[in-house]
Amino acid sequence: MDNQLTMIAQQEIASAEAVLTQETAQPMTTTDVIAEGPRFLSGAQALMESLIAEGTEVIFGYPGGAIMPTYDALFDYTDRLDHILVRHEQGAGHAAQGYARTSGKPGVCLVTSGPGGTNLVTPIADAIIDCTPLVCIIGQVKSTLLGTDAFQETDIIGVTTPVCKWNYQITHPDEVPEVMAKAFYIATSGKPGPVVIDFTRDAQVGMMDKPYQYKKIEGLASYKPRIVPKDEHVQKAAELINNAKKPYILFGHGVLISGAMEELKAFVEKTDIPCASTLLGLSAMPIDHPNYVGWLGMHGNYGPNVLTDQADVIIAIGMRFDDRVTGDATKYIRQARVVHIEIDPSEIDKIIKAEAPVVGDAKEALRKLLPLVKTNNHSTWRNEFKKFDVIEEQKVTRRELKEEGEIKMAEVVNMLSQKTNGEACIIADVGQHQMIAARYYQFKKPHSYIASGGLGTMGFAIPAAFGAKKGAPDREVVAFIGDGCFQMTIQELGTIAQSGLAVKLIILNNNYLGMVRQWQQLFFEKRYSFVELKNPDFVTIAKGFGITGHTCSERDNLSDSLDALLKSDKPYLLEVIVEKEENVFPMVPAGASVVDIRLD
Amino acid sequence: MTTYTICIFTENTFGLLNKITILFTRRRVNIESLTVSETERKGVSRYTITIKHDKREEVEKLVRQIRKVVEVLAVFGYLDDEVVYNEIALFKIATPIGTRPIDIETINKVYKAWVVYWGLDYVVIEKAGNEAEIMDFFRYIKPYGILEFVKSGRVAVGKTPQGLVEYLPQEVHGEYYA
Ligand SMILES: Cc1ncc(C[n+]2csc(CCOP(=O)(O)OP(=O)(O)O)c2C)c(N)n1
Ligand SMILES: [Mg+2]
Repeated sequence: MDNQLTMIAQQEIASAEAVLTQETAQPMTTTDVIAEGPRFLSGAQALMESLIAEGTEVIFGYPGGAIMPTYDALFDYTDRLDHILVRHEQGAGHAAQGYARTSGKPGVCLVTSGPGGTNLVTPIADAIIDCTPLVCIIGQVKSTLLGTDAFQETDIIGVTTPVCKWNYQITHPDEVPEVMAKAFYIATSGKPGPVVIDFTRDAQVGMMDKPYQYKKIEGLASYKPRIVPKDEHVQKAAELINNAKKPYILFGHGVLISGAMEELKAFVEKTDIPCASTLLGLSAMPIDHPNYVGWLGMHGNYGPNVLTDQADVIIAIGMRFDDRVTGDATKYIRQARVVHIEIDPSEIDKIIKAEAPVVGDAKEALRKLLPLVKTNNHSTWRNEFKKFDVIEEQKVTRRELKEEGEIKMAEVVNMLSQKTNGEACIIADVGQHQMIAARYYQFKKPHSYIASGGLGTMGFAIPAAFGAKKGAPDREVVAFIGDGCFQMTIQELGTIAQSGLAVKLIILNNNYLGMVRQWQQLFFEKRYSFVELKNPDFVTIAKGFGITGHTCSERDNLSDSLDALLKSDKPYLLEVIVEKEENVFPMVPAGASVVDIRLD
Repeated sequence: MTTYTICIFTENTFGLLNKITILFTRRRVNIESLTVSETERKGVSRYTITIKHDKREEVEKLVRQIRKVVEVLAVFGYLDDEVVYNEIALFKIATPIGTRPIDIETINKVYKAWVVYWGLDYVVIEKAGNEAEIMDFFRYIKPYGILEFVKSGRVAVGKTPQGLVEYLPQEVHGEYYA
């Protein structure tokens, strides 16, 4: 026991040492980006300059009292900074998330104090759990009024601390450039996440005492994530991989975040290891790649879940063994030796013990691993997945795609996938439709499945969709949204209409909070407690917002309906009336082991 | 339950105490004692937190999670026999005229405690030591009448030859924290 704890201390000493040597070996690198000569700016102007210095193109926001000086400054910067006026601050947050996930840049939000800030809390919580870089600038009352219950004063630092990566209250204009540089660095580096800047009114209005000067930050003494993994970590991992009989790769969002798609492909092609994706890792590998076996988790594919139990070496890449992936974690991959490639050291051993942890960026780790792993042939092992695919096809897929009775969600997604050749960027909200979108869209391009994974935030899709379109204007962006979810952020139709962003919205309307209804059916004796919805006429509502759309309730019209949606060069809403009581399978019941996955 | 001493080195910034304590709250770990002070390095604070836990693994996870707070420079976890530690207690004892006088010699020699303030009707005695020693003295002095008793959290240094700040980054970035 005693020496065990010494180990904790030593581990920590080792990591502190690592920081120390890094710091002394390579002093802080900073790039001077001095805009013109010495200039004296207000805090709000300094904020605009800082955003531009960081390459910000667009702000998603909503004005109000405590942020008005900043909105006033923005008025002079509209030639360089685009701003999208949302209808509710939650929309700004999810839009910024969608933007970040297609563009790879941090999403920037600008809102007022009090309710403006609290309305942004849900997206902040969503972004921290799904590792999405956001810079959220929230107005605050004058610093002299802090703590007095002034109008629209909320302790937003206190409120956001548990759900953001970093927060800071700016009370003097001089702080702006340095704090913003820090904010962008922290939001985008290591495991990305949301940062919150609480910007007091006097700091916005006041003039800086020193000339504005911007220095980008590329490291902090207290925070400098390891990007390139240690040699000994990589060697140990390679050894495990090279000696494996049935190695199996589980990859996640980290692959997309670090842009390691090509590296992953090269790695699986050389080693011939089968690989499966988490929900948020979807589209990092094209679905038709021979080594890609499907996706993991509660509603993931049959073989990929069940065969975790047979692998002798699991190679986890940029994923964190979420409970929706592991089911009962005490029974998960007990037989396997685990390589865990992960940028966040606190994820190592958090849920699943790793024999070979590789702390670092997925792209760098795979690059370093590639020359060390042997060319191999695992076709026999890979073929085992195919057997399960056949069963899943017979028991689930065939039934869901069978053209009889009411239209099923699966048919809609499947047909859209064919019509878009698997190349669209799919946004999904939360519920059955989210799982069906993940199951049936045949992703060919990366960054093509954008959904709220860790938090499961209903209402994510409408704002995330136009944010994603803003981040990838040349891509076809199609959102699958439940009838329940649609009404959580329905007001953002106004934002879409005003911005003209040509997103395509598909409501898969089953007149139910379907996912909850499914659980009630399966685990609560079909006691349907408050899950049926009396829905509005969605198409009329869209029309009211100035968005064209129509309803499809007949299978015969489905193809034409999707064509109309895709042909439109404007935003479009298609409501599809689908089978009311369809269930999503496969399904790992909550708390069960993944091998007990149900097919019906 | 085992007692662990967690030493956290941080930049001395606003609101950091909250950022650290909520990690304990979230994992439902009760903080037994907490002491914060500036270290020998200017601008660097040292938190000494003691907790009781029956799973070392969970303590390790907590330690790693604390390290994730951006302003945290380093975290060290210890068992009791790996640190030299002490607490300090103040006892305010009634000494009205006519009652049994306190025995200064025993207090000094046996209990290594000192009178640090003489009031008209009371004295304040300072006793430093570990929990058991302080409670020993508590039992001894109780019959005299304790008006007030207060005890600090633990302070601790590791039983390693080097100082812990040696392991901190040389430069603490961000002078604007002043
Ligand atoms: C904000 C929020 N509230 C509640 C839930 C719980 N929940 C998860 S899925 C779901 C039903 C979603 O209904 P709908 O949008 O119609 O999608 P469907 O499952 O029918 O496809 C609910 C209520 C949630 N995830 N998020
Ligand atoms: Mg529904």
